[in-house]
Amino acid sequence: MSVLTPVRLGPAEQTLIAQLQSAGAAAQAERLSGSGLPTRRVESYHYTDLKQLLRSVPPLAGAAPGASAPALEIAGAYRLMIANGRVQDAGTAPAGVIVGRSEGSVLTMRDDVLVRLNAALAGESLSLTLEGSVDPVIQIDRRSEGEAAHSAGSVRIFVADGASATIVETYSGSDAAHVSNHASYISLGKGARLSHIAVDLSSGQATHFATHEYQLAEDAKLHTLAIHAGASLARTQIFARFAGEGSHADFSGLNLVKDGQHLDITLDVNHAVPNTTSQERFKQIARGRSRAVFQGRLVVARHAQKTDAKMMMQGLMLSDEAEILSKPELEIYADDVVCGHGSTCGQIDETSLFYLMSRGIPRAEAETMLVRAFLEELVDPIEDAELNEALTAVIDGWLLGR
Amino acid sequence: MTTPVLEIRNLHARIEEREILKGVNLVIPAGEVHAIMGRNGSGKSTLSYVLAGKEDYEVTEGEILLNGENILEMEPDERAAAGLFLAFQYPIEIPGVATMTFLKAAINAQRKARGEAELSTPDFMRAVKEAGAQLQIDSDMLKRPLNVGFSGGEKKRAEILQMALLKPSLAVLDETDSGLDIDALQVVSKGVNALRDGQRSMLVITHYQRLLNHIVPDVVHVFSDGRIVESGDKDLALQLEAKGYAGFDGEAA
Amino acid sequence: MSALDIPTLKENIDLETVEKVRALDVDKYKYGFETTIESDRAPKGLSEDTVRFISAKKGEPEWMLEWRLDAFRRWLTLDEPTWARVHYPQIDFQDMYYYAAPKSTSGPKSLDEVDPELLATYEKLGIPLREQEILAGVEGASANVAVDAVFDSVSVVTTFREELAKVGIIFCSISEAVREYPDLVRQYLGSVVPVSDNFYATLNSAVFTDGSFVYIPKGVRCPMELSTYFRINERNTGQFERTLIIAEEGSYVSYLEGCTAPMRDENQLHAAVVELVALDDAEIKYSTVQNWYPGDKDGKGGIYNFVTKRGDCRGHNSKISWTQVETGSAITWKYPSCILRGDNSRGEFYSIAISNGHQQVDSGTKMIHLGKNTSSRIIAKGIAAGFSDNTYRGQVSAHAKAKNARNFTQCDSLLIGDTCGAHTVPYIESRNASAHFEHEATTSKISDDQMFYCMQRGLSEEEAVALIVNGFVRDVLQQLPMEFMVETQKLISISLEGSVG
Repeated sequence: MSVLTPVRLGPAEQTLIAQLQSAGAAAQAERLSGSGLPTRRVESYHYTDLKQLLRSVPPLAGAAPGASAPALEIAGAYRLMIANGRVQDAGTAPAGVIVGRSEGSVLTMRDDVLVRLNAALAGESLSLTLEGSVDPVIQIDRRSEGEAAHSAGSVRIFVADGASATIVETYSGSDAAHVSNHASYISLGKGARLSHIAVDLSSGQATHFATHEYQLAEDAKLHTLAIHAGASLARTQIFARFAGEGSHADFSGLNLVKDGQHLDITLDVNHAVPNTTSQERFKQIARGRSRAVFQGRLVVARHAQKTDAKMMMQGLMLSDEAEILSKPELEIYADDVVCGHGSTCGQIDETSLFYLMSRGIPRAEAETMLVRAFLEELVDPIEDAELNEALTAVIDGWLLGR
Repeated sequence: MTTPVLEIRNLHARIEEREILKGVNLVIPAGEVHAIMGRNGSGKSTLSYVLAGKEDYEVTEGEILLNGENILEMEPDERAAAGLFLAFQYPIEIPGVATMTFLKAAINAQRKARGEAELSTPDFMRAVKEAGAQLQIDSDMLKRPLNVGFSGGEKKRAEILQMALLKPSLAVLDETDSGLDIDALQVVSKGVNALRDGQRSMLVITHYQRLLNHIVPDVVHVFSDGRIVESGDKDLALQLEAKGYAGFDGEAA
Repeated sequence: MSALDIPTLKENIDLETVEKVRALDVDKYKYGFETTIESDRAPKGLSEDTVRFISAKKGEPEWMLEWRLDAFRRWLTLDEPTWARVHYPQIDFQDMYYYAAPKSTSGPKSLDEVDPELLATYEKLGIPLREQEILAGVEGASANVAVDAVFDSVSVVTTFREELAKVGIIFCSISEAVREYPDLVRQYLGSVVPVSDNFYATLNSAVFTDGSFVYIPKGVRCPMELSTYFRINERNTGQFERTLIIAEEGSYVSYLEGCTAPMRDENQLHAAVVELVALDDAEIKYSTVQNWYPGDKDGKGGIYNFVTKRGDCRGHNSKISWTQVETGSAITWKYPSCILRGDNSRGEFYSIAISNGHQQVDSGTKMIHLGKNTSSRIIAKGIAAGFSDNTYRGQVSAHAKAKNARNFTQCDSLLIGDTCGAHTVPYIESRNASAHFEHEATTSKISDDQMFYCMQRGLSEEEAVALIVNGFVRDVLQQLPMEFMVETQKLISISLEGSVG
């Protein structure tokens, strides 16, 4: 009934529009002027109202002035670096890893504001082709360095038919109010196997956006783990598409949220062909005045019969001022499927706590034990001992308030 | 006279609005084993939880002295460090916590609270192995998460293992015989009896007399409607078995 | 993850159900007839004049007119919501009538004066309105149900009023309540669903025509089921009913509504508002059997059912329980909700939503935990067949002050055939550490094994589906008042007709 009023644009939106214009993306600039950043009325941003949360955007990043120390050291890993969106020269690649660069962004599938911004602003992308059984863990060290800056970086990974690898992306940088928009496009060939782990360790003032797109060919097997352990505002978007029969994926994620943070993991899994399976396991822990968000959608396309997909979200509240918000969705168009989701939210189980304390373990220690136990099943599947240890250290660091 | 290990004076406790313990008096001198028998719902298990300090219960009156020290204001872990051990009727399953990790954390927390040095890993391993052998607990079971997927017998044996390792001055055994077949009952009883050393006291809470054939008490108390209504030697348990509870508390069975 | 195992349906089947399914008369939408009766209508379209016309027709006091006009002005500033998973052509709000009343009836009066044509209509629908006959035990009638019959825009009769008045219960049309009990209406109307709550509720506030009013005094347990029977008859007419139920301290009432409409090619709008208020220790049980005309097999015609229902557990230890069986309407947009304001209050939502043909359902609930120790339970069963889309949408939220809030939610969807869709969209919002929420959802189909088993025992394919579906929804069916359970089982079977083979 009402006459549509033009969207009022805030400083962050105005900066973004100017940046899009300067990057020659006039159409995207115009679109953003028309719609503004998404508010809670946009379903996919229901709990992460970017218009409210993103108050300002720093200038576009120049070349990185120098690098801070790596946020996560993984012994024996082959490390590549992207600093302020720019691909850095890498050392000699191990067998089966072909490193290249290409122009522009790589994301394909989505009509999403972060995807569009990355597409318009990412200058070049790192491309990795993985063949055979790649032995060392590949670490893609993504940095935001120097003064506060807005950067967009992009990675394209192709895991060849029958190849296998483990890739860890880490996000960190200098202690400034960066806005970083990272994109990863990952395609698994027939029978390929990949473990893809993404750990955000950005500084406490930073805004971290990451989009992971996955495409799975026949019989491909994917394992993912996304951990949020940094930033003041973070959103990781996981978009996956099962394109080949017999493919399987285990998606997992962890929001470690403390005072003042708003961390969002949004997952959209599309079972587009018959006979594919997936399991989604996400956990959130929140303390202080903070907000943890998980949105997860399983879509089973018409004719994608025999899909088996199960999603679980578990939230653990450590403070009365925290919020854990979750929206696990099912969207099912085929009948011969087994799909389900579960979601629980609560505090540490009092009975377990009493049991541990009755054996002499002090409350704080007992709580830590139970929280570790809660997270155990996420880290447990990671076979590489060094990597497993590094991730456990990240979690312990959070638990002990470091 | 030496200080008794446990002294309960006029203990009243309630959960939400309901009073469950209505004036319990009990003294257990060092080295003695006392049994408490009572029908279901008489408040026996509540007594064990109140002793261990479960939050849901509110003590409205009375005192609990452990080795002469009032423990009512203590947290459950402080009571444990002070020497109280509760073998749970239904041991809690804790997924994700390996049994070994838990045992080590518990032993060292108690040692630390008492100002003792932490147990070294080899010493700890040796202690667990020795205690485990007696209770027929193998290392596979100890690698599993705490109580998760344990059979009824395994859970009870694991409780006694913990007791053996934590060496309490007072062990409260809450319906330790429930859910055990006769073979498992013998293993568990043997484990408990091995821990009777003339100093350690025990409070054995049970519904049936049969456990008391295996763990022979020095004193038997009949519990009814939140208090002890009769005390005697081990023959009292036999009388109870013969006459039923109604003969003691006057209520129809 | 045993929590996510898909339950087998077989265990829910019992012999009694088999018998009932066998006895089914499987006819098409049997309420699709039209009653020919002269009626009095407002001029077509919507303006302040329309609002004034309705208010004048109802002989309303000035405050009520002002309330309506305020709603109308606010409505002009609102946009139609688009978040639900339903698709329909733009509604032209100027191309319909907002008031239609049978000419012979100027308001509720004694049964003798009611147009015999109307009585016949309700008899045909299986709704007995003659108290003597009911008491005399007319076949199919039940002696312990009082009925308010609403025909298009007006209440035509309310039964058992005197009987109820003896214990102080008020059961009448809302129009009458506005005139007779203005203080109660002013105190509570719009107190649960505010005037500008949402687009359709605001429209309803401006143009609502009739509905039921129930007041249960302190400490009274309502001695019979109360029920309202809604019938849309006129063409091109929207139905905007308004129901208000107040349960005073320590009282109890069970209320049921039923709805039907003639078969027509055009779509008709039904935008109701229901408000429930439960004070300390009061309990309201509200059941709906919604069987508006769903449209034909090609998706032509049918009712747009855009309804706002909300209960306010305002008092300590109060309880509101919603049970709904949604089988009709072309589009259903409906979220009966509970605001758990009082400490220790409890909300329940039990739902069966069946969609067939080209029906679109977007329905669920909201459980808003505000008070301490509040608890809620949601059991939703969605069944999609044909070319339909069936969405459960629900919100559970615990406010920072809602210490020890508890929710359990179970949503199960069943798909029959591969041309339909079943969707689940829960919003789970915890803002309190001591709140504990558990949510589970499953999607499955009727297994070939189950079908084979039933057919081997002699059931036809259609009977087997009906049987298995009735087993699937059993948890919810059991929440309905006894009088309506068997009827509802039949209805479920009928609405799934043509879904197999």
